[in-house]
Amino acid sequence: MNRYEMIYIIDADLEEAARKELIEKVSALITNNGGEIEKVDETWGKRKLAYAIDYKTEGWYVLVNFKAPVELPRELERNLQINENVLRYLVIKLVEKKASVKPRPERPAPVAAPVEEAPAAEEAAPAEAAPVAKEAPAEAAEEAAPAEAPAAEETPAE
Amino acid sequence: MSEDRGERRPRPRGGRRPRRKVCSFCVDKIEYIDYKDINRLRRFTNERGKILPRRMSGNCAKHQRQLSEAIKRARAIALMPYTVE
Repeated sequence: MNRYEMIYIIDADLEEAARKELIEKVSALITNNGGEIEKVDETWGKRKLAYAIDYKTEGWYVLVNFKAPVELPRELERNLQINENVLRYLVIKLVEKKASVKPRPERPAPVAAPVEEAPAAEEAAPAEAAPVAKEAPAEAAEEAAPAEAPAAEETPAE
Repeated sequence: MSEDRGERRPRPRGGRRPRRKVCSFCVDKIEYIDYKDINRLRRFTNERGKILPRRMSGNCAKHQRQLSEAIKRARAIALMPYTVE
């Protein structure tokens, strides 16, 4: 399992229901092929494109962070390529380092806490909560402390 | 050891010797340049959208490589332009 980050641009003319459906479909594609989604970030929303793609000047950006086996990105890209409502996509493997924007790995609860909470969380959200809780504390211990401090002070206003 | 040509060259009278540039990513202790951080990346392109060379940006080799990678990614998903006319 590797951590990946995918960003794709949906045609801004697509109406909301269809867009939601498309995002669902992409997410399902990840989970059905052995990946787990960490975060789907739609806060980017509609943005002006830096250059026109198919004569379109705006696009709807969706950012997805996920963990997946190595074969998945290829399959994912194949599907995004086929879909004509996806203008562009980019899947990259994440490097765990201090980023120039705020660190993407989310800070989990204190290390002691998840052990007791895990069963409770599992009932609430069976699919995602459990694996994340399992792996997160170990990662966090290594990198959260140094990563958080410098990034916080220089987070640029987006 | 050998990169600071500008500093060594003896300047003819009165000329201000160019200040030694420091890599802004090293200063900010950034290990991974994010392609989504376009405000930062934009500072390293000229008004035509071209990536500035190291001798102008003052970046170290390591960060210049990462920077060019990040800018190229940003271009690929239309966050930054390939060219500005």
